[in-house]
Amino acid sequence: MTRRELLARTSNGFGLAALAGILQAAESSNPLAPKAPPLPAKAKSVIFLFMHGGVSHVDSFDPKPQLTRYSGKPLSAELAKTIKTSFIHDPSKAILRGSPWEFRPGGTCGTQVSDLFPHVRTMMDDITVIRSCYSDQFDHAPAIYLRSTGHQLPGRPSLGSWVTYGLGTENQNLPAFVVMSDGSTKSGPPAYGAGFLPAVYQGTVFRSGESPILYLKNPDGVNPDVQRQTLDFINTIDKIQERTRPHDSTLDARIASYELAWRMQSSAPDAVDLTKETEATKKLYGIGEPVTDDFGRKALLARRLVERGVRFVELISGTNVGADWDEAHTDLTGSHPRMAAKSDKPIAGLLKDLKSRGLLESTLVVWGGEFGRTPLSQGDNGRDHHPYGFSIWMAGGGVKGGKVLGSTDEFGVQAAEMRLDAHDVNATILRLLGMDHKKLTYLYQGRDMRLTDVKGEGEFTPLLLS
Amino acid sequence: MTNRAFTSLIAVLLAASPAFAAADPGRAVSLLQQRCAQCHGDSSGMSGLKVTSRENLLKGGTRGTSLVPGKSSESALYKAVAHIGDVAMPPGGSLKPEEVQLLKDWIDAGAAWSSGAATTSAANTWWAFRKPVRPAVPSATANPIDAFIDQKLRAAGIPAAPEADRLTLIRRASYDLLGLPPSKEQIEQFLADKSPNAWEHVIDSLLASPRYGEKWGRHWLDLARYGDTAGFEQDPYLLLAWRYRDYVIKSFNDDKPYDRFTKEQIAADELYPTDPEARTGTGFYRVGTNRDMLFKVEDVNLVEKRIDMVDTTGAVFLGLTVGCARCHDHKFDPIPQKDYYRMQAIFQPAVSEKVFLDYNPARNYDIAENTRTFKLWQIADDIARVNKKYQDELREKKLAALPAELQAAFRAPEDKRTPAQLQLVSENPNAIKISQGEIDAIMSQADKERMDAIARRLLQTFTGYGPPPMSAGITDVGRDAPKTFIAIRGNPEAYGEEVQPGFLSSLGGGDVPEAPLHAGSTLRRKALAEWIASPDNPLFARVMVNRIWQFHFGSGLARSSSDFGIRGGLPTHPELLDWLATEFAAKNWSVKSMHKLIMMSAAYRRDANPGDIALAKDPANELLSHMNRRRLEAEEIRDASLLVSGELSLKMGGVPVVPPLSKEEMFGMIGNPASAWMVTADPAEHKRRSIYLLSRRTFQQPMAQAFDGPDGVLTCPRRNESTTAPQSLALLNSGFTMDRAKALAAKISDPVAAWERIYGRAPSAEEKAAAERFLTKQQSLLGSREAAMAELVRGLMNTNEFLYVD
Repeated sequence: MTRRELLARTSNGFGLAALAGILQAAESSNPLAPKAPPLPAKAKSVIFLFMHGGVSHVDSFDPKPQLTRYSGKPLSAELAKTIKTSFIHDPSKAILRGSPWEFRPGGTCGTQVSDLFPHVRTMMDDITVIRSCYSDQFDHAPAIYLRSTGHQLPGRPSLGSWVTYGLGTENQNLPAFVVMSDGSTKSGPPAYGAGFLPAVYQGTVFRSGESPILYLKNPDGVNPDVQRQTLDFINTIDKIQERTRPHDSTLDARIASYELAWRMQSSAPDAVDLTKETEATKKLYGIGEPVTDDFGRKALLARRLVERGVRFVELISGTNVGADWDEAHTDLTGSHPRMAAKSDKPIAGLLKDLKSRGLLESTLVVWGGEFGRTPLSQGDNGRDHHPYGFSIWMAGGGVKGGKVLGSTDEFGVQAAEMRLDAHDVNATILRLLGMDHKKLTYLYQGRDMRLTDVKGEGEFTPLLLS
Repeated sequence: MTNRAFTSLIAVLLAASPAFAAADPGRAVSLLQQRCAQCHGDSSGMSGLKVTSRENLLKGGTRGTSLVPGKSSESALYKAVAHIGDVAMPPGGSLKPEEVQLLKDWIDAGAAWSSGAATTSAANTWWAFRKPVRPAVPSATANPIDAFIDQKLRAAGIPAAPEADRLTLIRRASYDLLGLPPSKEQIEQFLADKSPNAWEHVIDSLLASPRYGEKWGRHWLDLARYGDTAGFEQDPYLLLAWRYRDYVIKSFNDDKPYDRFTKEQIAADELYPTDPEARTGTGFYRVGTNRDMLFKVEDVNLVEKRIDMVDTTGAVFLGLTVGCARCHDHKFDPIPQKDYYRMQAIFQPAVSEKVFLDYNPARNYDIAENTRTFKLWQIADDIARVNKKYQDELREKKLAALPAELQAAFRAPEDKRTPAQLQLVSENPNAIKISQGEIDAIMSQADKERMDAIARRLLQTFTGYGPPPMSAGITDVGRDAPKTFIAIRGNPEAYGEEVQPGFLSSLGGGDVPEAPLHAGSTLRRKALAEWIASPDNPLFARVMVNRIWQFHFGSGLARSSSDFGIRGGLPTHPELLDWLATEFAAKNWSVKSMHKLIMMSAAYRRDANPGDIALAKDPANELLSHMNRRRLEAEEIRDASLLVSGELSLKMGGVPVVPPLSKEEMFGMIGNPASAWMVTADPAEHKRRSIYLLSRRTFQQPMAQAFDGPDGVLTCPRRNESTTAPQSLALLNSGFTMDRAKALAAKISDPVAAWERIYGRAPSAEEKAAAERFLTKQQSLLGSREAAMAELVRGLMNTNEFLYVD
C-alpha cells in the first residue's frame, strides 16, 4: 500500500470526525493560518532568486560605455576615496575595466542586458531593472544578512520569515517558506532564519531528490505500514493520557502536528515530483541539459510550490565551496559565464511558465544579490566586492516591467539617482504583498522590531506599478 | 509568541483579567504610557496631545481637552479608546475591554495622577526604578510566597488546584533543576518516604547534583548569547569559549553568590585580579558574535563589540533595553542617549586578554607553542622538498599530453599570458592538477622513508598536545581610556558631544571616579559592577529572582524578564516580587536558596490542570491557581532520550563535543564539514549532555533548531515554545530517535519496562493492552519482537507525556 493510499483510508487511531475536530482546534492557534493582508495586495507569493556571492552589475544589467572607454585608466582620486575594497589593495592605484561582454536591447522596451543573460534578455518587457541599489557591507555574510534580514549581524528574522509571520500560508501541508540552495552558502542558515520570531517562521531547506525536507523519510527499515501503526499508537496513548490532562490546546496542537507531519510526508514528495510535468515544460527550464538541469529543476519546483500556496520560495545560486559568483575575484571571464549559464535559461523559463499559467500576476519574482563587483580590475582578470552601487530586478506580482529605475554614476561606482538600500527594497516587497513595513512589528527586548528597523523610507512601489 | 502565550492572549481577550483593580491610578497611568505615549509623548505629541501628565491631558490637543475628571462620557480620551465617536485609538489595535474599563473607572473617580508611572518623571516613579522595599507578608503561612499568591486568588474567587501527585512533583522538580527526568530509584524513594520532610529531601538532593549546574548554566548561556564560533562566512572557532561555559556551570553548582557571579563577569580583572577562575567570568564579553577574522572591518567590529557589551550588560543584569537609546533618547524608558554613551565609555578601554589559569603551565605552553610553530614550518618545508621532484615530473608528463595550444598557455609565465591563454587556463582548471596520491604512487622507497620520518616527527610533536591552561577574558588597555563621544543618531562616524563614564540617571546616576594615577586600568568596570551588583540597585535583585521564578513557573512575575522598563508592564504580583528581591539579598544572593524557597511553596506544588473557575476567570493563569505545563526544551529532549535509553554520559566539561550528523543534516553548513564539523573521535563523547556539544553560530543542529534551541546570536531571556509539524517529523524520523529506540529496545523485553523508563511509572491496564496489541501487530510487520519494541519506544518518545512537564 502506498503512503497516499494509506492516507486516504481512515486509520485506526483517528476517526474522521475526531481528526477534523483536532485539526480545527490546532487551526485556531496555528501561527501559519493564512491571514488577509491589511492593505490591497498585488502579489500573493514571492520567488526570490538570490544570486549570492556578488554578480557584477557592470557586466550584466548596468551598461557603462564610459567604463569601456576609460578601460585601463585609473579611477579619479575623488571617486576612489569613496570606496573600500576587500582584495584590491588600494582603489586609487587600480585600473578601470570595461565589460568584456556586449550589451544588447531586450524585448520591445529595449532594456540593455549583456550577453551573459541572453534568455532573461528576451523577457525584459516583464522585468523592471533597478540599477541603484547600495549597501554598506563588503564582506559576504554581513552583506547577505543585511540584504535578507535588514541587519548586518546574524540573528534577525529574514524577509521570508517576516512575510510568513505577516501572511501565514495557504497550504498547511507544505512549509510556508522554502529555501533551495546548492548546500553550502556564504552566510549559512541565519540568512533565512526566523531570528527572534518563533521557529515556525524559519525557512525550510529543500534538498533535491524525492525526500526534500529533512526527516521527511521514514527511518531506515520502517515502511509506511509500520509508520502508520506507530503514529496511530502515539495517538492512542496520547488520547488515553489526555484524559488526565484536559483543556490544553497546546497538547491538542501537538497531537495534530503528528497528523500534519504525516500529511506533509505525503504532500511534499508529490510537490517535488517533476515527472508530472510535460517534456515541453521541462525543456523550457533547461531540464535535461547538463548546465541548466540543476537550477532548472529548482526553478520548476519553485513554480510548483507557489502553485500549491507556498508563500515564499528562496532560490540561492552559488555556494561557499564550489561553483560561485565570487570566483570573479580572480577569474571574471571564466566564472561569470559559467555561473550565468546555469540559471539564465531556467529563470527565463520560470517567467514564461508563470506567465502562461496566469501565476506571474500574483507571484513576485525578485532577482539580486548582496552586492555587485568593482568596475575596477582586481589583478588581471578579476573584480572585487562592491556594495556602493549594484542592480537587482523584479517581475510579476504587479510589477509592470519593461522599465529601468535608478542609475549609478558613469563608471558604475556609486548608486546615483534613486539610491535604494535593502530596507527600501524590503519595504517595497512587503508593500506589494499588502503590508506596511512600519506596521509589521514584533515585540522583542522592549522594542517593536521591524524588518526595516527605522528605515525603508525609500519604498518605491508606485514606480513599479505604472 | 509561544503557543501557550498565543492561547493566553486569546484567553485574555475573551475574559476580564482579574489582575486589574477598579480605578487604579497607577495602572491607568501606566497603561497610558504603554499604549499612548509612543505618539502622544513629550517629544512626539501628535495632534498636540501629550499623555504625560494630568495637566497635559486637561490641556488636550488640537481637538480640545481630552479629560474631564469625573466624567468619562465627556472625556475625549475615553471616547477615543472606547471607539465612541469619530476618533478611535490606538490605531495599532484596540485596548482590551478591561483596559477601557480601567480608564473609564479612573476618569470617573477623578483621574488622579498616580506616582505609578510617568514618562517625564518615570525615573522616580516607575515601579522598577524604585528600590524594592520589603513588604509585609499578608498572612501567616508556612511559606510567605503562598501568602502573597493566595491573597490574590482569594480576592479573585479562584480556588487553587490541589497538590500534584508525587510522581508529577518529583518529575517536575527534576526537570526544573537538572533538565533530566528522575531515576526509578529516586521516584521509588520519594513515593515511599512518609516523613514530613520528604519533599525537602528531594529538593536538597537535586540541588546537590552536578547536573544542576548543567541545567541552570544553560539558562545563563542563553542570556550570555553563548557560542563556540564567531559567526560570519569563516565562522572561526572561539577556541576557549568553553572555559566560560564550564565556569558558568561550576558557579551554579557552587551556588556562587549572585552578586559575586555578576561582579566577576563584569570586572574580575579589576576586582579579583589574582583569581584566574573569576577572571574567566569576563569571558561573558568574549563568547558573542564578532568579526575578528573578516576583511578590513576592524573599525566596524570595534563599534559592534562595544554595542554588544552595553546592550547585553543592560539586558542581562539590569533587565533594561538600553540598546534603544543608542540612536536617540529611549522612547519609553527614561534613558537619555547620553546615558547610553556614558555606559559605553565604561567599556571603551576594554580589550581581549588571555587569562592564565595556572601561571607556569600556561607560560610553558606559550614557550612550547613558539618552538612547535618553528618546527612545523621546517616540517612543511621538508614535505614540499620531498614532493617537489615528483610534482615537476608529473607536471611535465601531463603538459606533454596536452594539445599544443593549451600546453603553451600553461607554460607561459602567469604574468605573461595573453587574454586567450588566460581563458584557456581558466577553462581547464584541472588539466595539470596533481594529487598527493599520484605522487605517492611513483615515490621512491628512500623518499617514502623520509616521509615516514616526517610523519613520526609530527606525531611526536603532537603527542600530549591539548588546549592551553588559559581562558579568554577582557581587561583594560591601560589607565588612560580612549575618549567616548555620542554617536549622532547611532552613526559612529558622526561624533557628538564627548561623554564621561557614568551610570544610568534613571537609576540614581553618578559618575565613575577617575582611577588613581598608579592604576593599571581605568577601574570603570569595577565601578559599574559594584553599582549593578548592589542591594541599592532597584533592578539587580528583582531581575534575577524574576528569572528564577520564570524557569519554575513558565513565566516571570514580571512577564518580560529582560525588559523591566515601561513597555515591560507591571508585574502580576509586585509585592511578592519585591519580597523575593529583598529575601534574595538577605540570603546572601544564594540562587539555590531561592530555588528551595520557591519549590517549598504550595504554589509550586500544585497540579497542572486548571479548575473550571480558574479557566473561566484567569485562563492565562496570571494568579497561579495551578502550575503551568511546559514542553521540554531542545536539550532536555535529547538528554532525556539518552538517559532513558541508558546511554547518557555524565562526563563534565572540556572541549566542545562534535557528534556525527548525517549528510542531510549537515546540508547548508558554511564550509566543508572536514573543518567545520570535525566529529569527535571517541563515540562515548557523542552521548554527552547537550550543553557540551559544539554550538556553531552559522549552523544549529537541526533537532535543536526545530525545538526552538537558542541561536547564540542575541541574548535569549526565554525560549519560544512552538508546536510544528517539522518538529514531529524530526522526533519521529531522525536517526537520533531511532538509535535511542533501538538502544532501549535491546535492554527490555516488556512494555512495562518501557513505561517505567520513559514515564517513570507502570502502564495502566488499558495502556498495557494497547501496547501488547501494537507489539503483536508490529512484530508481524517487522518480523521480530525487538524491532517491534523499538517501534514501541519510538512511539512513546513522541507522546505528550514524555515531551511535557506537568
